[in-house]
Amino acid sequence: MRHVVIITILVIASTLLIHTGLTNIGLLPAEASAQSVEIDQLFGMYIWMISALFSLIMVVLVYCLIVFRRRKGETGDGAYITGNSALEIAWTAIPLILVVILAYIGGKSLGVIRRIDPSAMKVKVIAGQWYWQYQYPEYGVSSTDLYLPVGHQIDLLMTSNDVIHSFWVPEFRVKQDLVPGRTTELRVTPTLIGEYKVRCAELCGTRHAYMEGLVNVVSQADFDNWISEQQSAAPADPALRGQQLAQDYGCTNCHSTDGSEKIGPTWQHLYLSNVELSDGTSVVADDNYLKTAIVNANLQIVKGFPANVMPDFSNTLDQTMVESMVAHIKTLK
Amino acid sequence: MEQQHKSSALLLGLLVFSALAVLTAVEFVLALTIKLWQFLVLIPLIKAGLVLYYYMHISRLFEADLDSDHESYTYKLLTNRIGLWLFLLSDAFIFGGLLLSRINLLGLTRPDLNQVLGLAVTSILLISSFFANRAEILMEYGNRKQFIINIAITMGLGILFLVGVVGVEWRLAPFGPADSIQGAIFYVMTGFHAFHVLTGVIFLAIVLRNGSRGLYSAEKHWAVEACVVYWHFVDVVWFFFYPALYLIGTLAK
Amino acid sequence: MRKFFSLGLLRGLLWQILGTAIGIGILTGIRQLLGLAAWKPEPAIVFGALLGAMFFLYGVGVLNDWIRVAAGKEIPEHIDESGLGWRRYFGASLDHKVIGIQYLTLSLVLMVVGGIFALIFRAELANTGMQFLTLMEYNTLMSLHGIVMIVGILIGIAAFMNYLVPLLIGACDMSFPRLNAFAFWLAVPAGIILLSSLALGGFDTGWTGYPPLSVRAPIGMQMFFLGVSLAGFSTILGSLNIIVTIIRQRAPGMTPFRMPIFIWASIATSIISLTATQLIGLSFQMVMFQRLFGMGFFDPGKGGNPILFQHLFWFYSHPAVYVFVLPGLGLISEMLPVFTRKPLFGYKWVAISSIAIALIGFLVWGHHMFASGMAEYLRVPFMYSTLLVAVPTGVKFFSWLGTLWRGKITYETPMLFLLAGIVVFLIGGLTGPPNATVSTDLHLTDTYFIVGHFHDTMFGGYVFPFFAAIYFWFPKMTGRRLNEKLGKLHFWLMAPAFIALSLVMMRVGMLGMRRRIADYDPALNFVIDNKIMTVAAFIIALGVLVFLINVFWSIRKGEVATGNLWNSRSPEWQVPSPMPIYNYEKPFEVVGEPYDYGLPGSVYVKFKESE
Repeated sequence: MRHVVIITILVIASTLLIHTGLTNIGLLPAEASAQSVEIDQLFGMYIWMISALFSLIMVVLVYCLIVFRRRKGETGDGAYITGNSALEIAWTAIPLILVVILAYIGGKSLGVIRRIDPSAMKVKVIAGQWYWQYQYPEYGVSSTDLYLPVGHQIDLLMTSNDVIHSFWVPEFRVKQDLVPGRTTELRVTPTLIGEYKVRCAELCGTRHAYMEGLVNVVSQADFDNWISEQQSAAPADPALRGQQLAQDYGCTNCHSTDGSEKIGPTWQHLYLSNVELSDGTSVVADDNYLKTAIVNANLQIVKGFPANVMPDFSNTLDQTMVESMVAHIKTLK
Repeated sequence: MEQQHKSSALLLGLLVFSALAVLTAVEFVLALTIKLWQFLVLIPLIKAGLVLYYYMHISRLFEADLDSDHESYTYKLLTNRIGLWLFLLSDAFIFGGLLLSRINLLGLTRPDLNQVLGLAVTSILLISSFFANRAEILMEYGNRKQFIINIAITMGLGILFLVGVVGVEWRLAPFGPADSIQGAIFYVMTGFHAFHVLTGVIFLAIVLRNGSRGLYSAEKHWAVEACVVYWHFVDVVWFFFYPALYLIGTLAK
Repeated sequence: MRKFFSLGLLRGLLWQILGTAIGIGILTGIRQLLGLAAWKPEPAIVFGALLGAMFFLYGVGVLNDWIRVAAGKEIPEHIDESGLGWRRYFGASLDHKVIGIQYLTLSLVLMVVGGIFALIFRAELANTGMQFLTLMEYNTLMSLHGIVMIVGILIGIAAFMNYLVPLLIGACDMSFPRLNAFAFWLAVPAGIILLSSLALGGFDTGWTGYPPLSVRAPIGMQMFFLGVSLAGFSTILGSLNIIVTIIRQRAPGMTPFRMPIFIWASIATSIISLTATQLIGLSFQMVMFQRLFGMGFFDPGKGGNPILFQHLFWFYSHPAVYVFVLPGLGLISEMLPVFTRKPLFGYKWVAISSIAIALIGFLVWGHHMFASGMAEYLRVPFMYSTLLVAVPTGVKFFSWLGTLWRGKITYETPMLFLLAGIVVFLIGGLTGPPNATVSTDLHLTDTYFIVGHFHDTMFGGYVFPFFAAIYFWFPKMTGRRLNEKLGKLHFWLMAPAFIALSLVMMRVGMLGMRRRIADYDPALNFVIDNKIMTVAAFIIALGVLVFLINVFWSIRKGEVATGNLWNSRSPEWQVPSPMPIYNYEKPFEVVGEPYDYGLPGSVYVKFKESE
């Protein structure tokens, strides 16, 4: 039928036009990870699909609106057509097959971006309101900037100190929430050297918009240099390291070192002093006490101070870090 | 003839109660011995089926209309029934959500509760359902005096259940709502359920009062039917809550 | 003075104030008796608000008949409200038409309020840096925009279902008129409580209220939880009434496949509303209890699980979006044949597609949680189920094209809005599959792409069909028609501006603009896009303003339209406008198909001759 021919031509033309438009206005950021390459292929497929289906329906719609409009003076009703079983079955079955294929492709794609590389470098990510912290357990380095060596898979092991946050670098594409009380995982293989920003992608309070951090993808050589710098910058003296950690992890926001009153007990004269706990008992603030207090404060709250305010650091601070902090506290006489 | 129908209806009510009681006892014993959670899900389902069919008369929903006059009492009665059951369906989703939360948060652990007390309150509620069923049957046969006595007993047992759970159990529990996840789940589940028992008791009180003033007859007693069906629903919820809180799983550390 | 108090709404409000004060007093008293520090604002205000809502219901008068029944007294079968005039609309009317218009008015009020919130924060976003809002104010306005619009949509849907269902099936009212009045009036204090959050510190969580953030948010958070719980309860009771009415009150001869298509849409919608809504209530109440009693459901420190909240919440909130669009899509199917003068193509398939969407819609909630940290193995099944919903949705689109094909199409205002609905819902629907697919969604989730997607689906599936329905049925409600010129102006302001808005949203989202942010980095080059979005929002608002002016003017001075203005076959158009108070003095019987336009001599309903 004449109608079908015209419509087919218009649909093809429209599809090509829309597709060209969509692919030329720049809809996606740079591809900076292996995952983004895979995901962008899927986006490419969807842009074709959207262009085609939009064209199909819109062309038929507009065609009808023009060709089948009521002309001046025309009376009477439209053609008496109640339906067409063959068409109904066709336009149910074909989309059904199509969505199953799409889901299958999606499943394979997910497998690709979640591919596990056993030699991936582990980096711990800890988020809180409104900061990002990173630890490199293989190197004993912690940092507030994320440095990554290009071309290597990174296994991000992430948790939150307070509310739900989400790790997202748009150029990497993949995103993963950080949930308090559990460790979530994100694997990324950065492929493009450059500076990027990670921005929190789950509303986490008033300063959510500003919760960002630097992600620096560098060559392997530069990365190794950076690691060495971090390691040597970390003071050899554990007490000095502990002092640095107390800054990095926000301890000094709540604990003073000079006896002044803050949200938590002061560290001045703390070591080996007598501490009265909220349940009435008394303990000596020895090494064991301090270690527990740092990692799991809510087990023993000091009298006069609020419970459930200090975050749970058991996932965040490892043995060495805790010992350094104890060493620092010991120096505060 | 009618006397015979009434007697057999009452007998059926007693038989169903006996089956429920036996199943509850079996549940309890299985929880102590075999400890397979699958049984402790299957048995409540069987109990619920029995109550839904015999006590709540779910089949009445599918009776054909004898009278197609939309204004007649019988037509409106079936309309009201459908409305009540849709309400119960909706309410069931809350309890379903609570059960799913319990499964997600507690898994195969359970709170440290007094088993004697648990079995006692469960039995009280079950017996109250028996008397509720009796009351409804007696009203269906126009036996006003007996109806009032049985509704009063049902209400009394309902109050006793509330005393047992909110008055005693909540006080005796070795944990508070804020202490642990067991505590939180225990109080929220028994709390929501107790709220429904309370509203059921209030409904029973209204029906008792209006019934003793002669407002209901064998032909017209929708309020009685609605009240009793709601009461059975609250009992059915407990069929699932009881094993979920008391029987399934091992004590958490 | 007496006349003043005769208005139920005013009585209700006064009683609400009283109830709130008494509630605060009772709770403070209980705390005192228990030996606790007497004044703790949060529990006192929550209890006060709850009691206030209950007192409102008493004050407005929706409890009086039930109290009489409980006390063993008789209540009248039918109440003659014809002498009350305009006062009917401000109190507890039992007439579904009045209640429908009450719902409609409330929904328009809520949409205007929610829209104003959007205009405020869109003005803020037109530039980087914070111009005139604090961060908490921004987050609160953004969150309230979301939930006020959502509640507004639920109320608007209740408006059309309550107004139309009895008319379309030939009933004189709903099965439970008093329940109907109760459900409407419950929504009023619910809305007041929701908006009171502005005065109680606001809340910064978005309408999704995720813990742990919502546990530490200000008291306004509790007003949000309580307000939504109450509005949810209103929805549940309303949908119960719709289902029973459709089952029990249909005219003779109205077999299931001879019902108007909007009835099928109403059934599908109400199935969801009746059941799933309880879960958002439960999830919100659990956070309320965590805040009030320290119950650690979502606190990992106490063994709780924040992701459990998301499962409970989305188990309702995904099907909820089908509640939002199924009625609108049903309205499109209902009105399109009237303007194309052709049968609805594939009526049976369209009817079943609504039910299919409702049922499949229960199985897809996890697609909101692909990045949440939920169990890995769940992501793929949810992807399959989510993509599956496209199939019945596609059936509707193809049916609409089939209904247009070889029709005789005219372009009155309702038709323009129907077409906008189809086009915009198409865009929304086509942007679904990239969200449904896990790997692409990991890029898109929590960005403006999602914001664009859901605005498209909401405008296409609700807003545009809703306006179409108002232009279409306004004469049935009032006996006058809305001004066509203003109607077309409304359309030409709103539709293109909205399409531009949503396309820009999706673009910036893909390029990296996150959602729910009060401010954005100028280095991202989104300033021009944001300015475009802000301008578009204001143009949309202008369109709504034109509409409101049209409504206010036309109620009194609109062109009189008492007959079958659209030449519709539907029963309500076979009787004069405004709709007579008892709907159909003479009952009708269904003797033909609803949409047999173009079949000479065919009749849908036949009215009984008087005896």
